[in-house]
Amino acid sequence: MRDERSGPSRVESRGSLLDAVRGVKWPTLRPVAGAMPGAHQSRLRGAAPELSEYRAYRQGDESRRIDWRLLARSDRAYIRLADDRSIVPTIIVVDATASMAFPRESLAKWRMACDVAIGLAAVAHAARDPVGLIITGGQGVRHLPPRTRRGIVGELARALDTTSPEGSARIAGALVGTRSRSRIAIVSDFLGDAEDVRRRAGEIAAAGGEVHAIHIVANDELDPPVRAVLAVDPEDDSIARPFVGDARAAYLTAFADWRAALAAAWRGDGLTYTEAITSAAPSRAVRHVAGAGVGAAARARVEAR
Amino acid sequence: MTLAAPFFLWAAGVVALAVVAAHLLAWRRPPAMPLPTARFAPERPARVVSRAVRPSDLALLAVRIATVMLIGIALARPTIAPDRNGTARVVVIDHSRSAGDGFAVAEAARAVFRPGDAVVVFDSIAREIPEAMVDAIGATRAGGTGSPARGSLSAGLVGAVRAAERLARERDSVEIVIVSPITTDEIDAATGAIRSRWRGAVRVIRPTVVPAETTATSRVAIRAPANDPVAAALSLIGPVAAGSAVRVVRDEPTTADTVWAREGGTLVVWPGKSDPGGWSRRVSRDTAFAVAAASGSAHPGDLRGTAAVIAAFGRAAMPPGDRVVARWGDGEPAAADRALGDGCIRSVGVVVPVAGDLALTPAFRHFARRMVDPCNGPPRLARAADSVVSRVLSAAVRGADATSGPSRERLPDAPSRLAAWMLGGALALALLELFIRKGEPYAAA
Repeated sequence: MRDERSGPSRVESRGSLLDAVRGVKWPTLRPVAGAMPGAHQSRLRGAAPELSEYRAYRQGDESRRIDWRLLARSDRAYIRLADDRSIVPTIIVVDATASMAFPRESLAKWRMACDVAIGLAAVAHAARDPVGLIITGGQGVRHLPPRTRRGIVGELARALDTTSPEGSARIAGALVGTRSRSRIAIVSDFLGDAEDVRRRAGEIAAAGGEVHAIHIVANDELDPPVRAVLAVDPEDDSIARPFVGDARAAYLTAFADWRAALAAAWRGDGLTYTEAITSAAPSRAVRHVAGAGVGAAARARVEAR
Repeated sequence: MTLAAPFFLWAAGVVALAVVAAHLLAWRRPPAMPLPTARFAPERPARVVSRAVRPSDLALLAVRIATVMLIGIALARPTIAPDRNGTARVVVIDHSRSAGDGFAVAEAARAVFRPGDAVVVFDSIAREIPEAMVDAIGATRAGGTGSPARGSLSAGLVGAVRAAERLARERDSVEIVIVSPITTDEIDAATGAIRSRWRGAVRVIRPTVVPAETTATSRVAIRAPANDPVAAALSLIGPVAAGSAVRVVRDEPTTADTVWAREGGTLVVWPGKSDPGGWSRRVSRDTAFAVAAASGSAHPGDLRGTAAVIAAFGRAAMPPGDRVVARWGDGEPAAADRALGDGCIRSVGVVVPVAGDLALTPAFRHFARRMVDPCNGPPRLARAADSVVSRVLSAAVRGADATSGPSRERLPDAPSRLAAWMLGGALALALLELFIRKGEPYAAA
């Protein structure tokens, strides 16, 4: 990995992406337990200005939360309740292994992963959530802790732009140190330790966290060349398979089945799964990820009523 | 270049096309392409058959095609027709006793000889004169004396056919010209068969020769101790007729002498003692006072009449033999011939005293000359009839007038070594292919 301050930033070139995701809300899937005021619904109910409901006073409630005007009118003691809003730390985990450097000429997978990561970071930062970044690749794990300061998105973009995907790494290992009540977005092709990652994500979700899987799929992976080639795994040279005869059809079937199984497994664990194809716009994947939170928040409101 | 079996060349062409097709459909490793999701493709061998627009491994393909074509051409048995022009002759010159003095034969041969012709001389054997020139023809009978051996036309034909086959590779046509009187003893049972080996024409020139005995002479071979009276007498009689193979031995005849006599010579056994071994003894030893040799020789330069010697000769044994050639004064045989093979052994029982000059007297010299006459007289060399010569020398020729006509026949091309060289080249290319394949592990059509 190179120093994020060396070389030009691609933030400027991502202006269209940032414009496309401006205004996108990325609410959490469920109320968070944070106390810092933010944009996400908190599990705590306090003295926020916006009235949510009244509740009969019970012993132990703070007396200053009694609605004295209502008490004067009705001679009943009620407590004025309001939904608290909180921030949620958002960590974007980006896979920077060699499999992301595909196709070799355009690095479409890596660019897609970077754009999606920056888009999600921008959306989260717009909600004043602290945004961090974990880049895991062949040269180790690079960790940028969540920050809310201005310009954090630019720093993340520079960190990604100065990274070259290479080697192999275990994403599950990078998730070990993350806070369990954070919101984590994993941007990867899940061709490494996918099962371990999903298991660790399930643990985070069970602990009150939130994990989003953004599966980066190259268009050339969905539509490999028809001519006879010897496909070699960039992370493992021992995997070399000829694409001749009916091998291509078998590959397409196996790849589709694997993707479907991967999505079902993630969703079965209560996690979100989004497939981002390199031929599509990155903002679309960002909106899809954020939309999962919007849908969940709407469902939560309906259930609350 | 002509091909004896062109089918093999066509077959080699078909095989070469198959080789090209094999190089278009080659087992090869497809080009590698990184694909992160390669693991989802089925596991199969990395080398697959693929078609290509251009043949692969051009060097290997070239070597293989060259190998196949060389083998095909070699099996087609190519022959390269030499650049032949003109005609040539093989002049076969008789050098035997049948040629007489040889001058007539040499003149006839010189007349027919042209530069570039081959010359084969023969008597009982044949030999080719290298770098034959006109002078060489005359030299075949240098000094005017030929071989006393019996001529063999078969031997001459063998040498002539060998030379003709060599000339046939260089000339359009080759003619064998036999310059010989062709006597009856020169033709044997193998002559016709040997003639049939040569498919070309054979022309015969039969000059009229002068018998050699009228001029040619030689001295008698004698084996005797020093100061031998008989040797002295024979040395005074002068040369004898050529062709008269006579050997005089004054001691016991050896095996070599006997073999020599069997082959046609006249071995004169003239012991120096009166009681040689192997002779039948007389009842009693006595003395004869005269011996005479009857005339029976038709030798032209010889003394005619009876050769008698009046002197005292001791006698103790009788010479063996069937034909008496000399008798004592009382009629008892003094010398007799015994036939042996083609020659004879003459036993002379006249013991010449060492002392005295009896051996030097003219009478004894005449007697001694009579004793060294050949058993059968000079060889009778009768010319073979023209019909016999024509039959022998033309019987095997298909409709060719071999004896008189100048017809010539072009011979087929000699076997070429081109096929062997091509097979050798194919073997070398096969070895080269091994080296090329060793350097290209993935190129295996």
